[in-house]
Amino acid sequence: MTRFVGMVVFLGGLAVALVALGAGFYLLAGFAAGISVSWGGPPEYGAAVANLLTLMLVVVMVTAAALVVAERKWSAMMQDRMGPNRIKVFGATLGGMPFLVADALKMLTKENVQPEARSRALYNLAPVLAFAPVFALFAVVPVGPKVQVLGYQVALQVASPDAGLLYLFAIASLAVYGTTLAGWASNNKLAMLGGVRASSQMISYEVSLGMSLVGTMVVFQSLRIEEMVAAQAQAVWGWLPAWGLFLQPVGFLVFFASAFAETKRAPFDLPEGESEIIGYFIEYSGMKFGMFMLSEFVEVVILAGIITAIFLGGGHPLLVSPERLRELVGSPLAYGAVSAAIFLAKVLFLCYLQFAVRWALPRFRYDQIQRLCWKMLLPTALANAFVTAAAFLLDRPGSLEVVTWIGVAEMAGIAVLTVAVARSPEPAGHDDHGHAAPVPAGH
Amino acid sequence: MPYHFPDDRPVTFRERVYFPEIIRGLGIVSRHFFRNLFFGRETTPDVLERTRRGSLNATLAYPEEKVPYPPGYRGLHRLVPREDGRPRCVACYMCATACPAQCIYIEAAEVEGDPIEKYPKKFVIDELRCVVCGFCVEACPKDAIRMDTGEHALPSYGRREQVLDETRLLRGPAVSYRYDPWLRREAPGIPPRQLEAMKARARPFHTVASDEGSQTPGFSVKALAEEAKGRGGA
Repeated sequence: MTRFVGMVVFLGGLAVALVALGAGFYLLAGFAAGISVSWGGPPEYGAAVANLLTLMLVVVMVTAAALVVAERKWSAMMQDRMGPNRIKVFGATLGGMPFLVADALKMLTKENVQPEARSRALYNLAPVLAFAPVFALFAVVPVGPKVQVLGYQVALQVASPDAGLLYLFAIASLAVYGTTLAGWASNNKLAMLGGVRASSQMISYEVSLGMSLVGTMVVFQSLRIEEMVAAQAQAVWGWLPAWGLFLQPVGFLVFFASAFAETKRAPFDLPEGESEIIGYFIEYSGMKFGMFMLSEFVEVVILAGIITAIFLGGGHPLLVSPERLRELVGSPLAYGAVSAAIFLAKVLFLCYLQFAVRWALPRFRYDQIQRLCWKMLLPTALANAFVTAAAFLLDRPGSLEVVTWIGVAEMAGIAVLTVAVARSPEPAGHDDHGHAAPVPAGH
Repeated sequence: MPYHFPDDRPVTFRERVYFPEIIRGLGIVSRHFFRNLFFGRETTPDVLERTRRGSLNATLAYPEEKVPYPPGYRGLHRLVPREDGRPRCVACYMCATACPAQCIYIEAAEVEGDPIEKYPKKFVIDELRCVVCGFCVEACPKDAIRMDTGEHALPSYGRREQVLDETRLLRGPAVSYRYDPWLRREAPGIPPRQLEAMKARARPFHTVASDEGSQTPGFSVKALAEEAKGRGGA
């Protein structure tokens, strides 16, 4: 019981800390904007630099590093184990958090073994190429809306290019170079196999990744992610928030699966496999391997951020409308901070969801991965794009009712299929005609 | 096919769609996660006794928490002490003779100021050679050596540490019986007041063989003997 109370207090403290963090980020951005103006530049430059430091270095890096530990601890909880608990600070395990320091120290101080016959330049370049693109993805994720802070209009977003989603696709496809080059430059057959698998898997899934978002582009009529977030503030039928999840459930599922495959995490972790090929990073050790590992967790955070922005309404609250929230909290700074906190909370939830998927699903076989992509996800994404576009044309301009009807119908279909647990089949072999299941010839 | 698998059936449409089954799987994983997150682990050593109402975690954090061994478990030896701190052992060499592994070494000495009694000046057991048969316990006429510590041989870095001498063997609760010769003849080695205390605490006879705790549940030699006495037979 004490643990229950403690966890409730902890989660409440986490919410408060997220709000405080959002407020701090906004104040820093406003402050930097002021400095930028005093130097004769536009305020956006200063805000962008501040956001670069706070969002990309603090939020992404700290979350990714914490996820390294969370991967172990959460996995343990999902599997009814205890997880890492041997490091104790004054007798308290602190939920395994000291392992953050221990793991980092281990990575940094490990011997850096390199194969003699490596391709020197590419071998050193590969971890950077794996890490930098996924890191750069977070630049377009709008964590907080544009509000007035210290006299300047600042948003918690590093950059907002016109081609927001296209930037996303372009940079995301760069990540494949790191893994492929790592596999090739190591001069190791197993690493090569891992690199080849990684490249074919990631190139395949980029197709359905791009197609799955066409529907959202149509519905929100923009490529800029912050405009997509703003478009999700409207309400359909006066009560249902126009989140991408409700308008595009199929698009969401396809995007989630494709992006999941892009992160190369279980169940799509074919590029690495302890029992067959070790992985494209087999010849890497020390912090170079750590870069590959960390980039995987950064990808988890980025994917969570992008899904939150495009499908879960960004920083919009769940139960009340954003306007209502703005009235409730009063000052613009507080509104921005609460919005950023909601965004980060959704990001955390999606990180959890990805870990849960990891432990809920067994690993795919390689042909299954390709079949899932080309024969299921891609046709589904294409059909979704066509249906959404047709529904959008049928709608009155400015309303999303037909699209929402279709989306809600799709959600209901999935819900019915989920709830309708298949009854255990009648035992085969009791009827005169043999088994119900077709037995392959020759068995 | 002479047998069939229960799952040997065509995949239904619902399973082909993947996502409903995945969502159900996520539900199961999340249920485990949140139950283990919000509720503490039950630490009852007996895993079967746990209610599993809150946390589903069944781990026993071994070095800190241990499952107690059953009562009849033959653990590390101990030399049973008397109330005055000396061993009950009279250095008769019965255990050393009975030992099939020949892991017991005894050196006898005479008790100072007592013309009759002996005690083990040295009593060494090599726990690495011991085959844990318990013959020494059976052989002992004075109930002076027991294997009731409930501990197994501890891990160590060297073999020397597994050789236990009388200083490490002599431990555990003291035991006295009314038929103990040093009590009956009021041995001169024991101070009179101590002797009175020992006599007061002495048990009528030793009950290792019919120790209720070490019996199979539901089987009691004592109860059967009582019943036979009641029948007036045997």
